[in-house]
Amino acid sequence: MFTKPKTVAGPAIASIQQDTRAAVVMVTPAFLGLLAFIAIPFLLAIFLSTQNLQFGSGLAPTWMGLEQYRRILLDPLFRADFYRALINNATFAVVVVPAQTGLALAIALLLNRRLRGMPVFRTLFFMPVVFPMALVSVIWKLIYAPDDVGMLNTVLKVVTFGHIQPHDFLGDPKTALAAIIVTSIWSGVGFQMVIILAGLQSISATLYEAASIDKASKWQQFLNVTVPGLRNTLVFVVMVTTILSLRLFDQVYIMTRGGPLNATTTVMYQAVTSAFDQGNIGRAAAITVVFFVLVLGVALIQRWFLREEREIV
Amino acid sequence: MATIKYDNVEKTYPDGTKAIPGISLEVRDGEFMVFVGPSGCGKSTVLRLTAGLEDITGGSLFIGDRVVNSLAPQQRDIAMVFQDYALYPHMTVRDNIGFALRMMGRPKSEIRQRVEAAAGRLSLTALLDRKPRNLSGGQRQRVAMGRAIVREPQAFLMDEPLSNLDAKLRVQMRAEISSLQRQLGVTTVYVTHDQVEAMTMGDRVAVMKSGLLQQVAPPEELYERPVNIFVAGFIGSPKMNLFESVLRRDRDGGTFVTFGAQELAIPKEVLRERPSLGQRKDGPIKVGIRPDGFILTPNGSSDQSIEVTTEVVESLGNERMVHFIAQVRKASDADTRDQRTDLEEIAPDAGTSMFIARVPPYPRVHERETIRLGVNTKGLYFFDEEGNSLF
Amino acid sequence: MSNASIPRHQVMTLSPKVRDRTRIGRLGPSRLRIAVNYLVMVPVTLLFVSPIIYMFIASFKPNNEVLSGFGVFSLQDLSFNNYLSIFSRFSGSDTGTFTGFLTTSLIVSAATVIGGLVVNSMAAYALARLRWPGRNLFLLAVIALVIVPFEAIAVPLFYMLDGLRNTYLVQFLPFIASPFSIYLFYSFFAGLPKSLEEAARVDGAGAWRTFFFIMLPNARPVFATVAILQFMASWSSFLWPVMVIDDPTVRPLPLAISVYVGTPPYGWGNIMAFGVMMVLPMLVMFLIFQRWFIRSVVTSGVKG
Repeated sequence: MFTKPKTVAGPAIASIQQDTRAAVVMVTPAFLGLLAFIAIPFLLAIFLSTQNLQFGSGLAPTWMGLEQYRRILLDPLFRADFYRALINNATFAVVVVPAQTGLALAIALLLNRRLRGMPVFRTLFFMPVVFPMALVSVIWKLIYAPDDVGMLNTVLKVVTFGHIQPHDFLGDPKTALAAIIVTSIWSGVGFQMVIILAGLQSISATLYEAASIDKASKWQQFLNVTVPGLRNTLVFVVMVTTILSLRLFDQVYIMTRGGPLNATTTVMYQAVTSAFDQGNIGRAAAITVVFFVLVLGVALIQRWFLREEREIV
Repeated sequence: MATIKYDNVEKTYPDGTKAIPGISLEVRDGEFMVFVGPSGCGKSTVLRLTAGLEDITGGSLFIGDRVVNSLAPQQRDIAMVFQDYALYPHMTVRDNIGFALRMMGRPKSEIRQRVEAAAGRLSLTALLDRKPRNLSGGQRQRVAMGRAIVREPQAFLMDEPLSNLDAKLRVQMRAEISSLQRQLGVTTVYVTHDQVEAMTMGDRVAVMKSGLLQQVAPPEELYERPVNIFVAGFIGSPKMNLFESVLRRDRDGGTFVTFGAQELAIPKEVLRERPSLGQRKDGPIKVGIRPDGFILTPNGSSDQSIEVTTEVVESLGNERMVHFIAQVRKASDADTRDQRTDLEEIAPDAGTSMFIARVPPYPRVHERETIRLGVNTKGLYFFDEEGNSLF
Repeated sequence: MSNASIPRHQVMTLSPKVRDRTRIGRLGPSRLRIAVNYLVMVPVTLLFVSPIIYMFIASFKPNNEVLSGFGVFSLQDLSFNNYLSIFSRFSGSDTGTFTGFLTTSLIVSAATVIGGLVVNSMAAYALARLRWPGRNLFLLAVIALVIVPFEAIAVPLFYMLDGLRNTYLVQFLPFIASPFSIYLFYSFFAGLPKSLEEAARVDGAGAWRTFFFIMLPNARPVFATVAILQFMASWSSFLWPVMVIDDPTVRPLPLAISVYVGTPPYGWGNIMAFGVMMVLPMLVMFLIFQRWFIRSVVTSGVKG
């Protein structure tokens, strides 16, 4: 009744073969894209950073080894700009991360009520996120206009009954970075707020009810129910904001061009001006490599610090 | 010819786990074969190997005359009903049922006609334009069945299709599936962990444990002549009472097995029907009594009954479950030992065990009472030290 | 609902909605509480949104009035002049035209999004559900690449694609394959029940047909999320155009406004009008699809 089998036992070859054929077609475009536009440039950056390459000069690149790195990190002639950029980025991050997160948390708490119109408020706070950063920079550039007809100056005059004189926020090295910080916080707080709000809403209401029956005050409830419940959300938000603050570029380019006197220059701004204004591709590449190492380092450190106490639910 | 033949089919995972060391079995054309066993015994794996959802690592699988080891599921001409029904959520019932036919490229008119026929068989006609989220559990189950039968495949494979239904629905669907299969006459392989389903639905039942077939037989045979202690303990609810005993013959030719300090006499016809038992030397032996093998009003001599102390009496209206303690050690194999009930954990000391008797509601039995329980000695089961039945 | 003295322990057995309506002192917000809430929220929100209001109003006012303190909020001298001047100021290929900027942004964003949806979803499906040699390696690579920020590769990419400067292509091609998008699609597909796909296989669908007929129709949420996120990123893209575009005819909107602000003469009213026109499409889409936008952001947060 049964004919001798032609194929003896083996894996379901036909189905793996069919799968592989389909998989290869499905994956190839993405693979090529990732390879050509992310992986290769990444490696190229490392290579270029070792070159002395004057863009557009028609001269062939020459080997420089680690000279570019030495220059931006150690050489007094060149390192001032780069160090300034690092300091600015660090200041920016140290101020923006807690300020923006705290503000986002406060707004999310305010919005976390089942009252009519809450979605409207939420939409309004989120709106700046939809604006391209370039446009946000332009709007705030207007707001920061120097004379007493500038909007911010006018507001300050009214609010302090004329005590504060009109100020050139973007033109004064002491206030330029602060001005950019305010603009950035305004632009990004909606993004964080929406994520924190979702986190708040995922904390079970019965936890609060149990706490209030246990006679916990609102503040105690906040500390013992809200904050632990938000832990993972806050961790995520902090990590993302930190990395984003290292990438600072758009606002600086449009509002201050890195000035005045390098008061607002950032790592990425340095990279771009090296590549363009000076045509120094080698240095630009070196800067971006340092940038990546920085980002990776910060991400890993944060991960290690904050992961330790993360619950695995 | 839609027979399914497993010829030493084996499944070893890449990390070395031998899920199925080797199975050989033949499902006849039109037969309803049930694979049953505790969780992890490999029954679902066998089904998935049959379907082609996992690769066979050894042996050959035949569907009809073809070796299908290397064929993809779509080429094996089988239909499957999944435990969670796996209905396509974005399609109507009609499209769900007709999907496979569409994949085969059948003409629209034929698809329409076949879908409506299948829906009619399963009383789904009114639901054809609904989506799965608007169906009840039982309705979804029937749509899953419809999806399978519309293809008129060589075999149906069913993976615990009733386990997500409530008890009442389960009883009803059991009968529907059985009758449907009989009408259609399609070879069916059905997997379940519920031995009641196995016993009521299967033409033959394959009992599995740890990837190995224990016994393949019609339900009655499994019940009356289990081939080992595992099958004996698995089939039948409540479970068979199994205990350690000693075989003894006296000088008058009578044969006895001990029940603790007591003794039960084995009737001569039992010995005649079981030659291995008859030839066995005196010594340790394992004995089983099914819960319905007890009689409340014992007759005859004291070697046809045992004295026990009742613990808990559960009244079910038409019958009673009497849980009693006796000074006897339980017998088991590794698996059944882990299936101890909570009640049995209460048993006071080692050497004392809790058993169950299923008896009529009268005469009344009370808890914590010492009573005399008759034993139907013609319904005893005997096993050797390895757990194999003695026939 | 009457305020009667319902014992506190019985209150706990009521559903949250009902509980809120029974005003039992400490367990529910009082009218005063609600009023205070709004009293705080409304001014705070207005203050927060004021830059946007400023932009809109300024776009309708003559240039000299824009910089006049609070004078800009007076409802006189409103006109569309600023808007019209944009079209006259930007005419011809030496300055670019507004419609040109808009078209560029649209083409680049559309290409990025559509290309991205196709390329990334296919790759993610293959990763999530198909078996093929090298699958695990590729998945690892994708996850590793998620960490690489664009800025780290901008310079070498600029160097590599020098020959493609001032084209539409250079503005969207590098961004079609996106590790983060692949990851979002991947977690979604991996989260769909495996039995769904197995049923499709048994029903005779191969990898492609399973993808089209079973996976995609059930993937609308994730497609919306990825589309929105990629569209927002592409529309606001600035760093890259700064590096590779100097021809006004292929200039996208963010770069255009930056150039405008960098090349006098300009009036702030004009610039604000430019800004309004620039953001209006996005804003309108956002207002219509609010839920989707916010949900997309939240999803990317949860997956992170």
